[in-house]
Amino acid sequence: MTRTANYVVAYEATDRGRDAVQLGVALARLTAAELRICLILPTSSAVPAKVPAGASEYGSLLAAQGRDWLSEAADLVPSDVTATTHLLWAESTSEGLIRASVQFDSDRIVVGAASYGVLQRFTVGSIANALLHASPVPVALAPRGYLAPAAISRITCAMGTRPGWKALLESMVAISEGLPVDLRFVTLVEVDAARSGQAIDLSAASAAHLTSVVEHFEKDSTSSGFVTTEVAEGRSVEDAVEKLDWRVDEIALVGSSRLAQPSRIFLGVTANRMLHSLPVPLIVVPTAAAANSPS
Amino acid sequence: MASSPTPSSPAATMPAATVTGISPKGLSAGSIGLLGATVIGISCIAPAYTLTASLGPTAAAVGTQMPGIFLVGFLPMLLVALGYRELNNAMPDSGTSFTWATRAFGPWLGWLGGWGLIVATVVVLSNLAGVAVDFLYLALAQLFGNPGIADLTNTLWINIGTCLVFMVAACYVSYRGMETTKAVQYVLVAFQLIVLVWFSISAVVHVTNGSAFDALPFDASWFNPFAVPSFSAFAAGVSLSIFIFWGWDVTLTMNEETKNPETTPGRAATLTVVIIFLLYILVAVATLMFSGIGTGEFGLGNEDISGNVFAALAGPVMGPFAILLSLAVLSSSAASLQSTFVGPARTMLAMGHYGAFPRRFARISPTFKSPGFATIIAAVVAWGFYAVMRALSTDVLTDTILTLGMMICFYYGVTALACVWYFRKEALSSARSFFLKFLAPLVGGVILAVIFVTTLIDSMNPEYGSGSNIGGVGLVFLLAVFLLVAGIVLMFVMRAVNPAFFRGKTLRRGTSLDAQR
Repeated sequence: MTRTANYVVAYEATDRGRDAVQLGVALARLTAAELRICLILPTSSAVPAKVPAGASEYGSLLAAQGRDWLSEAADLVPSDVTATTHLLWAESTSEGLIRASVQFDSDRIVVGAASYGVLQRFTVGSIANALLHASPVPVALAPRGYLAPAAISRITCAMGTRPGWKALLESMVAISEGLPVDLRFVTLVEVDAARSGQAIDLSAASAAHLTSVVEHFEKDSTSSGFVTTEVAEGRSVEDAVEKLDWRVDEIALVGSSRLAQPSRIFLGVTANRMLHSLPVPLIVVPTAAAANSPS
Repeated sequence: MASSPTPSSPAATMPAATVTGISPKGLSAGSIGLLGATVIGISCIAPAYTLTASLGPTAAAVGTQMPGIFLVGFLPMLLVALGYRELNNAMPDSGTSFTWATRAFGPWLGWLGGWGLIVATVVVLSNLAGVAVDFLYLALAQLFGNPGIADLTNTLWINIGTCLVFMVAACYVSYRGMETTKAVQYVLVAFQLIVLVWFSISAVVHVTNGSAFDALPFDASWFNPFAVPSFSAFAAGVSLSIFIFWGWDVTLTMNEETKNPETTPGRAATLTVVIIFLLYILVAVATLMFSGIGTGEFGLGNEDISGNVFAALAGPVMGPFAILLSLAVLSSSAASLQSTFVGPARTMLAMGHYGAFPRRFARISPTFKSPGFATIIAAVVAWGFYAVMRALSTDVLTDTILTLGMMICFYYGVTALACVWYFRKEALSSARSFFLKFLAPLVGGVILAVIFVTTLIDSMNPEYGSGSNIGGVGLVFLLAVFLLVAGIVLMFVMRAVNPAFFRGKTLRRGTSLDAQR
């Protein structure tokens, strides 16, 4: 190992920010990475108002508050995980996070994804959404109310049959390198009740595809856990996700849409709908980022 | 950008590091050039809004001498702004009259300076929203060709309700920490300038065609401010002129953000004031020529139109293009409404932080990183003030503008004198210091004090302003006194509740030579 991996944690002094710290802790424990807990404050530009808005005084008060918030964040990190805190200024939160990830040469950005207030588990909040459209590194999304387990016991990788799955497979190899966690490859199949005959074919094809995925995977993998495959059927993607069993100490991995530019994330339709019913954290991997995934 | 810090000790002991390469105060450093700064300066002044609100009251006070008063009214603004700039350079981590005045004069006058600023902005917020409401219905009436819609603004509950909608919208945008983008600012400013010039030319064309309402031949004596009949009228006019240039000083204090902090702010301020001067003189002369100062339907002396002159004159002067003027004023006041929320909210936040206001005012929204509580309070109070005023007086806009003029004189005056006092020990150290840190703010502060006292005394007259009065005392006087006395009472309440600030424990008093950072 030439370097210690590090993850940017998108912190804000809200439940969403605490979700992100918890997921950061879980991932740091999994891969022995360090956390860079970042709080992004908005740069104040000159406000065209009749009253001078005191940008510099406000800036220092905001910075003081930001430091207090960051020390609260540091207190959330247990002693077995190394974390540093950073106060950054940017025009938008997502822009600041991406800049931080470049500056720290980070392997991942961890963000609380819930938009609090709606009943759904995973309605992607605006910051997470902006990151999913622009981040050059994988983005890990923490569900609402997430608590870091002592160790992650399984990683599930959602595979499509479309081209591009090999890139995702490479990052699965990289992320599980040398780890004693179980690995599961799943394919989600939407079953239309009226055309159930077709669905059986689809499921069979998916199962065959998964078998070849696992063959590919085992050629390169150094992981020591069990590898399983599963085809999940449901009336909708959400339904299929709910049919699968999920452990509380599990994380999911998904690739980005083919619409994305090289090494930019763009969440595909299926992945987006997965989020709605997924009870565990989701890591979204950009198309061409597999090569520099965490070691 | 410099390389990132590479710390590796445990979390609990790690201090907050700042990523280098970014201005530590979070200002978008070095991004604004001369044009950008000038656009911001003009945006701050919001000329379309300012003119519609002030032409009537100024004409009522000084008659045809309006152009001259506009010229002379800039002088105290200039003198005070020079002092502002010195304070800003000496205490860059401050940013409001509250902090400056507290450091120079101690907590009591500092508190009142901050209060003056908050009151002035709350009053202008209510006035901006009021003008926006009028122009919304006017623009809709022009759009649908149905003059009846414009009269909706005269129905009390519709007016107050619409004002509430504007307030809530502006407050929401501020609370979310959203800012108007540069492109929008450029478009709004260009649009205002073009439409106002168009309006002026149209007015003059009407005069030459003989189709003006009450054509008044141009006279060079209009530029003589000293031809004003009485000192009272002169003082009222100057007080209003402070209002029309209010916001100009912002350009002078934009330092770190400009591409060249040495020259850009000064040049931008000069360019801004030249453009604004030309515009104001043009509009003032054209409006006088078209409308005269009589009390007829479209006369500038008509109390029914004086609080919002363009609403009445747009149709007669611009004909089918009147809607452009409505849109210019509507956009100018709506944009200004939103951006004006930032000032009082940040001042209240600072006052909360230093214990001059209850601690809750210092609350920063963790999601939007904006002064959440203070922003909401500003909106609630501004709307409440507007609703009460609207119910009391139908010519609410005129009276609030006159009150506003006084409040601006008050807090600018306090700030100017704070500058003199703060720099008193280095006043004689150089000619530059003597002029910029002593003489200019002193003269400016004294002028403002005289104007403030004179207008305060005059406003007791029940005929002052719109002529609204309670028990034979002018409404403007009652308002001004109420707002100031409320401040003094609240100050003593805060002193009883939380004395630390008033004992100088949170913000220390000093002078420029105290080796403060």
